Amino acid sequence: MKKFLSSNRASLITLLALILLPFIVGLMDGESPMAVLANESGNAKFAQGLAIEIFILALYALSFDLIFGITGMLSFGHSMFFGVGAYLTGISLKTLGLSLPATLGLVFIAAIVQAILFGLVLPRVKGITFALVTLGMGSVFHIVVMSSELGPYTGADVGLQGVIAPAFISPANERIRFYFIALTILILVYLLYKRFVDSPTGRVCIAIRENEGRARMLGYNTFYFKLAALTLSSLTAALAGFMHTLYQPIVSPNVASMGFTVTALLIILIGGVGTLNGALVGAVVYRLLDFGLRRYIGESASFISGAVYVLFVLFIPFGIVGTWRAKSFQINQGWQRLRKLFG
Amino acid sequence: MNTFLRKNTVLLITLAVITALFIAAAQGMEKKDFVITLLRGLAVGSITFLVASGFSLIFGLLDVLNLAHGTLFMIGAYIGWTVFVRPDTFVDLLTPLALILSGFALADVYPFLATRIRLGLSMKRILPWALILVSVLIFSFILPRYPISIWDVENYGQSPVTYSFMADSGTRLPAPVAVFTEIAAPLALIGLVLASMIGAFGLSLFNSETQQQFKLTWKNFAAFAILLIVALLTFIFNESLTAVLTGLSSNWLFLIAVVVATLSGAGLGALIESTLIRPLYIRPIYQLMLTLGMSAIGIEIVRSVWGRPEFVMPKPAFFNGTGGVCPATNFADWWANNCSTILLLDGRVRVYNEIFIPIIGVIVLISIWMLLQRTRLGMVIRAGVQDREMVEALGINVRRVFTMVFGLGVGLAALGGILAAPSMGLSNAMGESLFLNALIALAIGGLTNYPGAALGSVLVGLIQQFIIKYGQIGIAIPFTDIIFKPTPPLVPASTVLLMVIILLILPNGLLGKKE
Amino acid sequence: MTTEFILETQNIRKQFGGLVAVDNVSIKVRKNSLHAIIGPNGAGKTTFFNLLSGNLEPTSGKVIYKGQDITHQPVHRTIHFGIGRSFQITNIFPNLTVFENIRLASQALGSDNFKFWQASSRFKKYEERTWNVIERVGLKERAQTFARTLPHGDQRKLELGMILAPDPEVLLLDEPTAGMASEQVPELIALIQGIQKEGNKTVMLVEHNMNVVMSVSDAITVMHQGMVLAEGTPAEIAANKEVQTAYLGGLYELNV
Ligand SMILES: Nc1ncnc2c1ncn2[C@@H]1O[C@H](COP(=O)(O)OP(=O)(O)OP(=O)(O)O)[C@@H](O)[C@H]1O
Ligand SMILES: [Mg+2]
Repeated sequence: MKKFLSSNRASLITLLALILLPFIVGLMDGESPMAVLANESGNAKFAQGLAIEIFILALYALSFDLIFGITGMLSFGHSMFFGVGAYLTGISLKTLGLSLPATLGLVFIAAIVQAILFGLVLPRVKGITFALVTLGMGSVFHIVVMSSELGPYTGADVGLQGVIAPAFISPANERIRFYFIALTILILVYLLYKRFVDSPTGRVCIAIRENEGRARMLGYNTFYFKLAALTLSSLTAALAGFMHTLYQPIVSPNVASMGFTVTALLIILIGGVGTLNGALVGAVVYRLLDFGLRRYIGESASFISGAVYVLFVLFIPFGIVGTWRAKSFQINQGWQRLRKLFG
Repeated sequence: MNTFLRKNTVLLITLAVITALFIAAAQGMEKKDFVITLLRGLAVGSITFLVASGFSLIFGLLDVLNLAHGTLFMIGAYIGWTVFVRPDTFVDLLTPLALILSGFALADVYPFLATRIRLGLSMKRILPWALILVSVLIFSFILPRYPISIWDVENYGQSPVTYSFMADSGTRLPAPVAVFTEIAAPLALIGLVLASMIGAFGLSLFNSETQQQFKLTWKNFAAFAILLIVALLTFIFNESLTAVLTGLSSNWLFLIAVVVATLSGAGLGALIESTLIRPLYIRPIYQLMLTLGMSAIGIEIVRSVWGRPEFVMPKPAFFNGTGGVCPATNFADWWANNCSTILLLDGRVRVYNEIFIPIIGVIVLISIWMLLQRTRLGMVIRAGVQDREMVEALGINVRRVFTMVFGLGVGLAALGGILAAPSMGLSNAMGESLFLNALIALAIGGLTNYPGAALGSVLVGLIQQFIIKYGQIGIAIPFTDIIFKPTPPLVPASTVLLMVIILLILPNGLLGKKE
Repeated sequence: MTTEFILETQNIRKQFGGLVAVDNVSIKVRKNSLHAIIGPNGAGKTTFFNLLSGNLEPTSGKVIYKGQDITHQPVHRTIHFGIGRSFQITNIFPNLTVFENIRLASQALGSDNFKFWQASSRFKKYEERTWNVIERVGLKERAQTFARTLPHGDQRKLELGMILAPDPEVLLLDEPTAGMASEQVPELIALIQGIQKEGNKTVMLVEHNMNVVMSVSDAITVMHQGMVLAEGTPAEIAANKEVQTAYLGGLYELNV
């Protein structure tokens, strides 16, 4: 027990901070924890909203990291995984009138189907051609949801509106509940991913990233491992899309565009490719940067964020987590020196 | 012959299927529609080709996926527009730009300087940053006070849209000549040169590996001197130069705009490669992020300088005649009146969009082909695409070739941009859609294959245009009375689908070589 | 020694464009023997191995393993039949540790590859196997270093370890000593011999060091320009006139 506590100190502190976050923000604003629990509007509620968006982004980034960072497949159609979840949830709740569990089941089935669809092209195309084929499939999906024929279902280029989340997790009235559910899901998925990467299957995925030819020579039929990674990734991204639709008033078709794939890529590049923690850290940095810049700079925010990415690449080449790991020895030494200085 | 057939069965079958589809497509429409659609397809194909070929050269030789290529295409268009519609702004900009670049032209001198400076370790870490900071401070002090007569994106009366519109109708609104405020001219000029040198020196300190060549000759200063002279001359003769440019016929001005846009594209490309991309050859994934970031920055620069609204660049007078015998029915009539359209098989064909652009496309296709086949540089590029290590082993200065190819690729994209501007118009999104087109074209033709880029681009252009046309006239589905009209979203979807199918059959594209 | 043949090829041929790299090669490999393939650079030895291991599809001809035609089997099946193959140019997972490289090789034939809900450290049998192999090839001290940081000689040992881990019956070793310092060579050859004798394995060995080949092999096939020039015991090969003039002549001091 003690060993568990000490070796997981950082994660546990983070977890505690995330649980307390709504109440701390509330207290700083003069709101009592009771008021926060009652979902009174205020900064606490706003912070929860931002955090929920970050959790969803983090789920999505994790799913991209699994196929790109861990298994080494560069997919440019990843936003489709998210988009299918998001749109299907909306259509199922709004047009088909299905219940929430049925919707989730439908989303998962669709996720498996599309992973198999992407998997079909795996044996034929590798590397950059895989990126282009997936880009193609993603663009077709984007075009389909944008087409005016499907307007009644997808909302065409305006986006999908008027999806009502069930009352008990309504993002407006029960946001604190939504917050904790989203947090729980993120933690569970994160733990699942950690286990996956450490499992025999995950190890083979890493081997495929490092040297696929050699992995085949060792006797692994790499196709099935890539398919497994794709399926898990697709399920996760679809789950993120599902939560996105429940949380957001409008599902913009942008979530199915190439730009949203690029978002995932940026997040894991910021955090550190192939490190699961990196996907989480990256999501936080990305969303807060975006939010802060838009708030304090306004229109030309993407100019600054573009510049920040370029600086990132040039000066923090392995992402935050990757660089941290590479430099942890030096950082530790720095800490020791600081400690000596103060006592 | 027999072995050729056997080896390329799949390719030949695919090509045959595509040809059959085109013949079928031609059956369904009138001759004049067919000709116009064909020409439009070729035009879109040509522009796509300009972007695609540059991208493919860069990818083939440098292994860099330049995701900012579409944005650079757009920047080419906007630069060309500026020269064409607001030559006064262009002249005003020449001096400060030349001065800002002058410091970077001394790149060979800095390592020499660096060895002369002896500093403590911590100072050595701080120095580059301090230098860059100083340079940025000086720039941000001088540049806002430097006189550049420009438009005002906030004010409709003085916006690029208005200037463009006025230029099209033949009047040019002379903007008030800007003057120095709060700063003396000589001070501003000298300040810019100094700031540029300080900044470039600071940047060069990051490249700690010092070159061995320490002999400075006059050659190391030549580019610097030329830039200074250009800057000074344009500064002194600013007004008369502006007057000359404004007085030129729009044909000459257009030609100048094309040249300037292409050259700035090439220069920008070379600069990007030598400063930003070069440190990243060892970390390929991060190039992706870098080029993505550059793309975002580029779009934002265009938005803040030229504004968000779309506008059209006027066509040069040579392609813009109306009235009289126009639309021309024969070549002589067209030549005499410079009609904007001519009649071909009773169909109205726009000369600039549908004839001039494809011709330029073919000219560029052939010139690059000659460059690749007939020159030493071309030989090195082709060899490098095949086997980069071998070229390095031969002791060729690969760095310089890389910079040149990156410049060439971006220059081609910028050329595409300025040529497309009069027909496509200028918008913040023009780069993105064209870039997707170019990627699809390359995937279809073969990523690093030059003829493949051309074939893919033409296919993409033709398919899109035919589907647009059929969207207007409808396809009669055989044996039924149903007339099927493809909707606009089908245009991109069709090419994407074609790409996916072709890649699944031939993973390396139509002409790409097998592993 | 039994007379049974475990692996044979029938008129196998591989063409790269106009170049015939392996030209109608038919050889038979006796079970539990150490069969060496020699030949000058570019003779087609590596290509021949690639055909045996399934890395390349032959233009024509067959590969027979224990009476079964395995010519068109995908490359990931090879090891499942019991044929392990090492590479002339070191082919490892550079960014993984030595331990992980070999652990991956140990795990491959097991039935636990898709147990994604369990940590890989739970599967002790693979770890044990890994430690055995690591000890066998003498990399114990370096188990936790990244493969890319190993010196070349150790990388060759790792390469060998990766095919020992799944315990195949037939080992195809493509110049296992390539690029090794000469004082390390005898050690590695002794190791290979030991493995072959103790485990009753069949080894096919490509090797340039003639003294080594002559002293350890049971049978030798000489390849030249894609074709089999001669076949036989070391003594027969050493006595062969054709081989002497075409290949060995004056190059090697033979002390048979
Ligand atoms: N993938 C390939 N494509 C084209 N030619 C190839 C290929 N692989 C090998 N070759 C050619 O086939 C011939 C035989 O090569 P191989 O590598 O089998 O020779 P080797 O006997 O192993 O030589 P070495 O002793 O140098 O290892 C060589 O001429 C080589 O260039
Ligand atoms: Mg060999």
